[in-house]
Amino acid sequence: MQQKVEGYPLKEYTTKIRQIAKEALENREVTAIIGWRKKDFWWQSPVVFLEDPADVQQLVWDPFTIYSPVKFLLDWQESCAAKVGIFVKGCDSRGINRLLQDKRLERERVAVYGVPCGGKADAEKIRASFPSKEIKSVTLIGEELVLAVGEREERVKAEAYLLDKCLSCRHPNPVVYDKLVWEEVSPRQYADESRFARVQAVESLVTEERFAYWQRQFDRCIRCFACRNTCPACNCRVCIFDQAEPRWLGKANDPADTLNYHIIRAFHVAGRCFECGECERICPAGVPLQELNRKLIKGINDAYGDYEAGLDPTDVPPLGTYRGEDPAGFDES
Amino acid sequence: MKRIGVFICWCGSNIAATVDIDRVIAAAQKMSGVVYTDQNKYTCSEIGQAMIKDAIKEYRLDRVVIGSCSPRMHENTFRKTVESAGLNPYYLEIANIREQCSWVHKDKEAGTAKAISLIRTAVAKAAMNEALFAAEMPVTRRALVIGGGIAGIQAALDIADTGFEVDLVEREPSIGGRMAQLDKTFPTLDCSACILTPKMVDVAQHEKIKLITYAEVDKVEGYLGNFTVTIRSKARSVDLQKCIGCGECIAKCPSKVASEFEEGLVSRRAIYTPFPQAVPNKPAIDRAHCRFFTAGKCKVCQKVCPADAIDYEMADRLLTNQYGAIVVATGFDTHKLNNYGEYAYGKHPDVLTSLEFERLLNASGPTGGKILRPSDGKEPKTVAFIQCVGSRDKAKGNPYCAKICCMYTAKHAILLSEKVPGSKAFVFYIDVRTAGKDYEEFYTRAYEECGASYIKGNVSKVFPDGDKLLVRSVDVLSGALVELSVDMVVLAASVDARADAKELAQKLAVTVNAHKFFTEAHPKLRPVDTQTAGIFLAGMCQGPKDIPETVAQASAAAVKVAAIFSKQSLLGNPTVAEVEPKLCSGDLSCMAVCPYGAISEQVVEERRGREMVPRKIAQVNAALCQGCGACTVACRPGAINLKGFTNQQILAEVDAICL
Amino acid sequence: MPVTNEGFEPLIVAFCCNWCSYAGADLAGVSRMSYSSNVRIIRVPCSSRVNPSFIIRAFQRGADGVLVAGCHPGDCHYHSGNFFTRRRLTVLKQMMEYLGIEPERFQVRWISGSEGAKFAMVMNSVAEEIKRLGPNRKLRDVR
Repeated sequence: MQQKVEGYPLKEYTTKIRQIAKEALENREVTAIIGWRKKDFWWQSPVVFLEDPADVQQLVWDPFTIYSPVKFLLDWQESCAAKVGIFVKGCDSRGINRLLQDKRLERERVAVYGVPCGGKADAEKIRASFPSKEIKSVTLIGEELVLAVGEREERVKAEAYLLDKCLSCRHPNPVVYDKLVWEEVSPRQYADESRFARVQAVESLVTEERFAYWQRQFDRCIRCFACRNTCPACNCRVCIFDQAEPRWLGKANDPADTLNYHIIRAFHVAGRCFECGECERICPAGVPLQELNRKLIKGINDAYGDYEAGLDPTDVPPLGTYRGEDPAGFDES
Repeated sequence: MKRIGVFICWCGSNIAATVDIDRVIAAAQKMSGVVYTDQNKYTCSEIGQAMIKDAIKEYRLDRVVIGSCSPRMHENTFRKTVESAGLNPYYLEIANIREQCSWVHKDKEAGTAKAISLIRTAVAKAAMNEALFAAEMPVTRRALVIGGGIAGIQAALDIADTGFEVDLVEREPSIGGRMAQLDKTFPTLDCSACILTPKMVDVAQHEKIKLITYAEVDKVEGYLGNFTVTIRSKARSVDLQKCIGCGECIAKCPSKVASEFEEGLVSRRAIYTPFPQAVPNKPAIDRAHCRFFTAGKCKVCQKVCPADAIDYEMADRLLTNQYGAIVVATGFDTHKLNNYGEYAYGKHPDVLTSLEFERLLNASGPTGGKILRPSDGKEPKTVAFIQCVGSRDKAKGNPYCAKICCMYTAKHAILLSEKVPGSKAFVFYIDVRTAGKDYEEFYTRAYEECGASYIKGNVSKVFPDGDKLLVRSVDVLSGALVELSVDMVVLAASVDARADAKELAQKLAVTVNAHKFFTEAHPKLRPVDTQTAGIFLAGMCQGPKDIPETVAQASAAAVKVAAIFSKQSLLGNPTVAEVEPKLCSGDLSCMAVCPYGAISEQVVEERRGREMVPRKIAQVNAALCQGCGACTVACRPGAINLKGFTNQQILAEVDAICL
Repeated sequence: MPVTNEGFEPLIVAFCCNWCSYAGADLAGVSRMSYSSNVRIIRVPCSSRVNPSFIIRAFQRGADGVLVAGCHPGDCHYHSGNFFTRRRLTVLKQMMEYLGIEPERFQVRWISGSEGAKFAMVMNSVAEEIKRLGPNRKLRDVR
């Protein structure tokens, strides 16, 4: 499916975002804006918080406005009584619904500006093909990535350089918003096929091979908790893994305890994870967390019917309900 | 610093034979927090309990661990012991080293090691036990009795006589149950209707009893003292206020249906009263077989009714009522004989079940009380009675004994000899069971005075032989093959639980056994209680039994109900869930899984900077909470915890048990 | 390289619900049935009280097998507890198997209060299976 948007005029989108932010701040609809800004390097477009309408010039929209700003809403709500405006991509917007469903966000206190997204770029993949020091800018136009490398312009097929999580994105358009910043885009062509591909690859291994595989992955885990910190489904006021009494999770970097952490976190987000992929993307050790979280989604879909989290904040997550005729993953005789 | 006392029971030799008590004591002495240990042969005895009480006082114990039989046996006993020594009863912890250790492991080494592990686990849990207090709950002083047979009738009368209100729900149009179908009852040969109908009338006239017939229980919610029950009062199509019971409608109804009361031997009408002494003695329309309801025709009953009592528009009504206790008295069914083709039942009209034979005996039955062969209407001179059809049969029937058949067959043999002079009864039996007062004498009368022939042997086949029936068996006492030509064969069909017993059990949250009989709380000592507080059992629905046992059980259930109602308020369950506000995010995942609606939202005020800010969190109503703990797992941070089985306690148990 | 399991006595932790499976265990005892002494029971009010964290903790602390036993669906003393257990532990079991833990190590069974024989049989068969698998090394804490 071709993207409906003909070209991807970066400047126009950035302008649009700045315009919306400025108006909202000037009209005092919101007292602050959460968006993205450009930092020093070409791959850095981190989250920014603005309160002064004059500062909206900092806002950008480019292939690196990846970070989900949603978790910041939790802190915002706790510290400030006023309303905040937030720009969210398709994946981010499901995080909004996640917070709403978990009653961690009051809908009236947030103005949601939905930004349909054609995908974000993977800086690692770009660096593998182009000398990083020479890259001046990267722009996504339609299906192409346009790089300004030194004096020349390079045009490549975007798909090869997008983040893995974007390749299997099923909801590029925001599912909740007060304002849609521009026209919706078409869903990614092969999203459904690739969604459980890696899960199926692991499923094809036998028990010992599976354990060896996961042992290699989790051995790298340094228990930084970045995955938990970035995940909107992990929104408890006091996380179970931070508690000392009882001590559910030990402090030592014991392989069994690391497995304990990942098993329990995956269980806690089972049926609530909306596949934004931030956990895997943000992991500094490259642990393939989506392979784990998606396995649970697949299992729940197979057993209890297809369910997508973060689409409807009024529905009931699969582990919060049951049917008398539910199948079981064990011998019920 | 905890002061835990550990007491190991020998339970005679029940524990001591396969667990080395001294080694367990030695190990307990080394466990963290244990300051005192002792052992006793029978800890539940007065001496044993006194030993515990004395130790608590002398050694200032603040926690007690007992290694003994299952907590399901004596937890309440020992809780009272501990309480009488001045400790909160929930400072007690029991390690099950009998049912789950000494009785199931033959090797003393293994048994001792496991017992030590279980004690260690109980000590770890006890160290975290906290004082718990039950909340007071109000009681609705109205009982519900489900089933209007003799069991339900007796229970209702006894409860009502203690002064409390009772609703008696019966699914048939009349109360009376199986006893109404009987002719005479053993061992006195009392006329069944004569002893039953006065009680039926008492029920109808008792000011404390509300009779709800032609109704079933739809839904049950709540718990002891506070059950909310929805009763479906089925549409009779007859206005009971207007109906004068003249019976004109029945006489003129053109539709015929096999009569359930007459066991299918004759038919009844679509509008019918089940039997002449029915209470209420007013008809109901069986809509499934009524020409108006199935085909829109007829309406004769309405035309002939002098009181204008027929109401085709009547609809089922749902009544929702509050009850403090429930008695289940839903009775039994006769075993279906599909698997017993060898006895020609269903193939030959003169092969009957005992209940069908009972209807022949009854004066208001299909033959006016004469024993006549259905085939030709002649009196049978020889009748073979086959025992245990479908009972004591592991292969294709019920493995259990139906209890009543030996006695009612003796009764049938006696009545046959009285009603058909010169007749001869042949009873084919495996054993004759007469374990009741005057029962043995009654059976003796059958063969000594009434000429019944008792042949010990299973019948292999019954088949038609001209206008008679050939019964082939063996007499195991003499070893001879037996072949008898008889006029009639009566099969003592087994007793089955009701087909929908399990469905009702699930509504009530009580259990049934493999044969769908309701499970009592303890087979010996608590035969009328169920595991669910406030729900009691009476009669055949709990297991095969005769009328005196049924009546006794019904009265027992009534006393249990009265005991509940006689209290000012009830103590609820103290092991309830509780929310720790600091940990609660307010997502209410707990509320979604609570079966009792015990969780709601509450607003708390918290300091944020210099302000007090409101925040919504979860809250548990301790009076509604039944302590299942489903909420504790739905809660990801463990903000909601279960008293008596806290997260900390279970984690400590896991740690200890894996040592 | 096959690890010899001669002389290996597994430790099996069984979480049993008070109303059904714990009662079934008591009945097995009352009926003097024999089963493996490797099984240690932790009593919970309902199988829905069993937090996956307890199960993982048991493995970490040295259990070689973990069993959760509850009432048959529809028969829960608290009406719906075991329906949640069924979903939760199906998800947990799928996950553990996906991570390469042998399926026999963590099992869930429905055992009623009148199924004493079934209780003994299940305990014996679980103990057999775990004995063959050998000690749990994958999820065990480094001591």
